[in-house]
Amino acid sequence: MTADTNKFVIPIGPQHPALKEPANFEFWVDGEIVTGASVRLGYVHRGIEKGAEVRTWTQNLYLMERICGICSHVHATAYTLGVEKLAGVEVPPRANAIRQLMAELERIHSHMLWLGVAAHEGGFDTLFMYSWRDRETVMDLLEKISGNKVHYSANLLGGVKFDITPELATEVHKGLDFLEERNRFYLKVVTTDETFIGRTRDIGTMTTEKAEFLGAIGPTARASGVARDIRVDAPYLTYEQFPVKVMTHTSGDLHGRFIVRIHETFESIRVIREILDHMPQGDLTTRVPRRIPAGEAVSRVEAPRGELLYFIASNGSEKPERVKVRTPSLCNWSTVLSLAIGLKLADMPMLLSGIDPCFSCNDRSISLKRGQQGAQVWSWEKLRQYGIEYYR
Amino acid sequence: MVQQTLNSSWQGVLTKVTNWARINSPWAIHFNSGSCNGCDIQILATLTPRYDVERFGIKLQGSPRHADVLICTGPVTMQARDALLRTYEQMPEPKFVIAVGSCGLSGGVFHGCYNIVGGINELLPVDVFVPGCPPRPEGIIYGVAVLLQALKAGKRPEPIQWSGGGLDGVLHSGSGLEDHHG
Amino acid sequence: MASTIGSLGAAEAVLKPFATTITRPQPERLEVNIHPDNLLAAVRALVDESWGYLSAIVGLDRPAQLAAEGMSQPESAIDVLYLFCSGAAVVTLRITLSYSQAVIPTISGIAPTAMLYEWELREMFGVEVVGLRVTGHLILADDWPAGVYPLRKSFTGFNQPIVGAEGA
Repeated sequence: MTADTNKFVIPIGPQHPALKEPANFEFWVDGEIVTGASVRLGYVHRGIEKGAEVRTWTQNLYLMERICGICSHVHATAYTLGVEKLAGVEVPPRANAIRQLMAELERIHSHMLWLGVAAHEGGFDTLFMYSWRDRETVMDLLEKISGNKVHYSANLLGGVKFDITPELATEVHKGLDFLEERNRFYLKVVTTDETFIGRTRDIGTMTTEKAEFLGAIGPTARASGVARDIRVDAPYLTYEQFPVKVMTHTSGDLHGRFIVRIHETFESIRVIREILDHMPQGDLTTRVPRRIPAGEAVSRVEAPRGELLYFIASNGSEKPERVKVRTPSLCNWSTVLSLAIGLKLADMPMLLSGIDPCFSCNDRSISLKRGQQGAQVWSWEKLRQYGIEYYR
Repeated sequence: MVQQTLNSSWQGVLTKVTNWARINSPWAIHFNSGSCNGCDIQILATLTPRYDVERFGIKLQGSPRHADVLICTGPVTMQARDALLRTYEQMPEPKFVIAVGSCGLSGGVFHGCYNIVGGINELLPVDVFVPGCPPRPEGIIYGVAVLLQALKAGKRPEPIQWSGGGLDGVLHSGSGLEDHHG
Repeated sequence: MASTIGSLGAAEAVLKPFATTITRPQPERLEVNIHPDNLLAAVRALVDESWGYLSAIVGLDRPAQLAAEGMSQPESAIDVLYLFCSGAAVVTLRITLSYSQAVIPTISGIAPTAMLYEWELREMFGVEVVGLRVTGHLILADDWPAGVYPLRKSFTGFNQPIVGAEGA
């Protein structure tokens, strides 16, 4: 972004007090109003794409998983689907159904985590505590199924590592009943609490046209009425057999983004129940060669934050030629940078949370620039408190 | 907390009180040096009602200048390295470091990648390593407890030895932990 | 699938004037090779047709193999792939740039999300993107050595000792 030297610039340092991953934003402000925004990622840049080129196809499963702790399964799935495409193998339906089940559980986890985090940004710590406590239920289920609360490593090249037994299915049903009840409560809070609505309605509004033009994806786009969802547009795994409905909203504001995510949680709960009740029989894996045939494949899946795209190139050997990961958050950054302009500084924490930024997917601190007094360093906590105080 | 040395028996009392205060209410600061968030989520989960680590007096707050303990995750990316050093330097003595997660131990699954330093102990003196990818909240709380136990005894945590076979309620780690300080 | 094929057909028709070659690597994919001079026109054509959205820009390093004796040495190249998506259909605009001529125009004037992708491409591969106004690094550290492009095959990492705090 070009800097206007008459504006203030305040940087906020990368050491982040709580909750967030480090990143760097720059906001140019004129009084209260944001006039320009830029982003400086890199605190979480580990060199994974390069690292993938020296690891075998199987080793990369574990590397890709750890791009992000919150969307780990969906990364591994996108990678696996791309490799299986290149290998030309057909994965047994039971394996794909289990992959989908894990993906939807992960989506519930991610949305509830975001609910707490976004609430915390606005000062609603009670909601943060409640949703994170309830989120433990999803993590318990994931742990019962896979053995780990985070990084479940469900995928193998060609299938899945574990099965869903009838006992597990009963546990999952019980957990889902609880989660559904809790999410009904959250929906009620989000749609009726006046303070909450005051801080989220008409904030960061993106019209349908703007969302289309900016190429927005995920719940952010859907909250602006853009019915874009890879699970429906380009079904993968068993999304044809167990489809989901695209949840959209028309308000296009931060409030709408809350509502879309909670509705998506209900859809996830519904589809998991369906998978459990109609699980396809059969094998869990199929054989995939160690050397993957040469070629290029594009793999697209719907992560909790939006479209995740993997481009995988093979040179016919045991190791990939190229693995390119385009995460949804990188795409969503552009929307934030454009939307921030004209808004108040106090709205920035909620706006940034609204796209559910996954910094590890992209790799925070904030630079705030005001005229020629040079950069002031603000911690994220300070910006957050600023926002809360402003609206008190 | 500045330690003044008094030439009297009051010094002993002062040290005991300071230690008691630190042990019963250590103030911690959390730093993510480039992790995938898995460990950070588990650390934050310790604050939530199921684990509720604040009832032990552990307080997670935002300023390095008020912190006794640095809880650090991540494989230390090049960009985060300076910020991590600065944070550590701003902390007053005595200060302690807990490295959480496989990345903090050795870079974890990213070991060898061009943009990371590797284990946190490449950069800072680490007192406690909590292994796992990610470790459970219970494991993290245990790690803090190990640190506090050592503080109570008035010293830094020492490498633990295998006693060979049998579970006797004490966590043992391989002797490889000693090699890590190299 | 029928709608995907139809969608790809529409894209192909729009891109034909600019294409050097056209292929269908998979049923849902269309790949069009383009000369760098035709990039802006091709992107404009897709956008004017409201065909999908820009989903990713991928760099691919293709260092030349050492030529056999007596043969001329081909130059190393970088492929830049622009991936546009509409529903299940994926259109790839593929541009091949030699190392000595690794220059392309920015398309962020037409597709704003391109800015971040082009910024990343520039620092990872050393492709010059004309018209990209952001300076500095998006992802790489501030003290990253100039002229070192991590995703080129020739880069194999650093082997330098780390200087940390006392006692580390």
